Amino acid sequence: MKKFKTFTRKYLCLPYGIFMFVFIVMPLIILLMYAFSVKDGTGGLSFEFTFSNFASVFKSDNLAMLGRSLLIGLITTLICLVIGYPVAYLLADKKLRFGPTIVMLFMIPMWVNFLLRTLATKAMFEFIGIEMGMGTVIFGMVYNYLPFMIMPIYTTISKIDYSLVEGAADLGANALVTFRKVIFPLSVPGVLSGITMVFTPTITTFAISKLLSGSKISLIGDYIDLQVEYMNYNVAAAISLVIVLIVGISMLIVNKYDKDSSTMGGGLW
Amino acid sequence: MNSIIELKNLTKKFGDKVVVDKINLAIKKGDFVTLLGPSGCGKTTTLRMIAGLDYPSEGEVLFNGSDMAGLPPHKRAVNTVFQKYALFPHLNVFENIAFGLRLKTVEVEAVDRKGVAYLKKIKLSDMLVEQAYTDRKGNEKVKTVKFKNQYKIEEYVDKKGRSKKRKVWLYDKYITDKVKRALKIVGLTDYENRDVNSLSGGQQQRVAIARAIVNEPQVLLLDEPLGALDLKMRQEMQLELKEMHRNLGITFIYVTHDQEEALTMSDSVVVMRDGKILQVGSPIDIYNEPINSYVADFIGESNILNGVMLEDYSVSFISHTFECVDKGFAPNQNVDVVIRPEDWLVSSDAEGAQITGVITSSLFRGVHYEMECLSNGYTLIIHNVDEYPIGSTVGLSVAPDDIHIMRKEKEFNSFKAVFASNNTIQICGADFECNPSSLIEGLSYDTDSEEATLDGEVISLKGREIDVRVDFDKIEIEDDENNAPLAGNIESMIYNGKSYVVSIMTDVGDVILADTEYLWDKGDRIGVKIAPKDFIAQRSENEEV
Repeated sequence: MKKFKTFTRKYLCLPYGIFMFVFIVMPLIILLMYAFSVKDGTGGLSFEFTFSNFASVFKSDNLAMLGRSLLIGLITTLICLVIGYPVAYLLADKKLRFGPTIVMLFMIPMWVNFLLRTLATKAMFEFIGIEMGMGTVIFGMVYNYLPFMIMPIYTTISKIDYSLVEGAADLGANALVTFRKVIFPLSVPGVLSGITMVFTPTITTFAISKLLSGSKISLIGDYIDLQVEYMNYNVAAAISLVIVLIVGISMLIVNKYDKDSSTMGGGLW
Repeated sequence: MNSIIELKNLTKKFGDKVVVDKINLAIKKGDFVTLLGPSGCGKTTTLRMIAGLDYPSEGEVLFNGSDMAGLPPHKRAVNTVFQKYALFPHLNVFENIAFGLRLKTVEVEAVDRKGVAYLKKIKLSDMLVEQAYTDRKGNEKVKTVKFKNQYKIEEYVDKKGRSKKRKVWLYDKYITDKVKRALKIVGLTDYENRDVNSLSGGQQQRVAIARAIVNEPQVLLLDEPLGALDLKMRQEMQLELKEMHRNLGITFIYVTHDQEEALTMSDSVVVMRDGKILQVGSPIDIYNEPINSYVADFIGESNILNGVMLEDYSVSFISHTFECVDKGFAPNQNVDVVIRPEDWLVSSDAEGAQITGVITSSLFRGVHYEMECLSNGYTLIIHNVDEYPIGSTVGLSVAPDDIHIMRKEKEFNSFKAVFASNNTIQICGADFECNPSSLIEGLSYDTDSEEATLDGEVISLKGREIDVRVDFDKIEIEDDENNAPLAGNIESMIYNGKSYVVSIMTDVGDVILADTEYLWDKGDRIGVKIAPKDFIAQRSENEEV
């Protein structure tokens, strides 16, 4: 009888490996298969290879929608950065006694369900009487994703050794120069992490645009949602694949600017 | 007045805690001054106030005679080498050192809108300079450009041996030359492009020093710069720092808790304790003429003994009368006697020696032997190049001028006490049982009824104030603070040959000295007990009047 002699740590990885295969690798394979196969009337998988799904993705109105999604993603990320950085910078100031309270205030809305929160925003706009459109969609995006920009930046800034600030001052730097030459360069990993965490979800989100534009503005996420509703899985898979590629490329670009990639995502709590 | 930095009544409080307490100090231009003291004595805070990183609560820091109050660190002509280096991790060695240079400003004459001339501070790189150039027509001309755009044409020979010309940007060259020179001074030539995180502790320390001295400050502040280095590296850096000080000719203010470091490097040592300056002097003065037993104990090893000054030039300690060089004490005044271990003259035969003793332990210390010798019940520490075997009887002598005599800071504890009830008094915020009849003259006290009678009248003592004294050896130290009325922390200990004089800091901030046979550790939490009979009434000054 063969004995189970050596129980090493690698066996502990087994459940995780199985989980990864079933819920990450398999879905990706299925996604690939759907994307490259002909539509089966029942919504199941057919094994007939085709590029036609991609052809329907790259129709002009779809490309416009993709462009709009990327644009909204970029604008949202930029606004989040412009608002989030100063907030994170102020919060990281150890002299600020109510800093942790403000962090909590930013985090509490995150505990409310995302759909509920967006519906509430919609109700607020209707109550105030603001017309739904591009502006309200971007507001909703910023409102939802701002904490994801603040948190990683806040964490990296608060980790900066205060003696570096004193050192810079000692060498003749005033507050502005200290910020420009010391604090900002050292907070770049947090900024990149924040950009990743805001940009990625905003380009594929669907509920916010639908609810906050009164279904006037349709983004790529809404289009995928629609295709799935019509059981048009093949086209939905093809679009998803294109987005995976776009996100992948943008992350590669972002990471290129981040020498110290070990801090990536480390800002998330 | 040739002092570059002067501290006047400098005080720093953090909340209620006084960290630096009204210190006065003048630092001469070009000196190497060391602030020496145990951790928490206020030396680093003093340095930070000179640097501008902390602002004084009271008092002034004068720089070349003018007050620097409120001047932020970036406007002061001092640079600091930080304890933990504080190098910028995102910059390489070159950029770390060039950091201050690139921010350098110069004063230029300018005219404001009303036509009044004034001095304007501009960045060195924006300073206007003249640039010779040849225009398109081949005429040689001169134009005014910013320093960062000034260049000169340099001829060089390329790889193929052809003679060519190229532009050399003078501002960049200026920075590069300065950085290279600073790196050469700290012994790190060719380290410009290294990542600071890849350097060893010693190398990082050198970069930190280079980063400070490259700005040519008038005063260089060093906050325990060698604290993180190992012993060998530290000794090497000590010598190099001293060498740098000689070559640069600027004032160094150095903070350390290492007395050896202070004695090795300084022109002048400032011994600090509890936010106050105890003594200022040259290393030799501080070592040979410590002002009190605390300084003597802190600076090097020493025998600190209780003595009695019999008359001028005659002192008695360890049950023997010695000739000394001190005078001006009251007859029979209690004093502290300090004798450095290497000042004992040892002989194997007792004849002709002042005292005799038995060697009880011996340790080889490299150059000398460190021996303990028991004489008349006192343990003495002796350093000698010759070893005397354990158990042997030796004769000991000491030259009159090697006997250092100091006034005692305190001869007994005195307290302002208040009666909490008829038989308890309150000192340092704690209630102690006492014997009221021995404290107040003419008072009779009945232990059963707890009634106090004075001049035939029954009185209540509660609230009555009284000055009491308690001798050092009457203070009992208890392991468990809960078993004693008063709790405190051990602050310091000084061995006097027979017992330890322990300084106890109570929770309310009073210092109590106790004489004990047992060795306690610094920072130990202990309880203080005093027997009722050991409170002795002291006539307060008011009463005498």
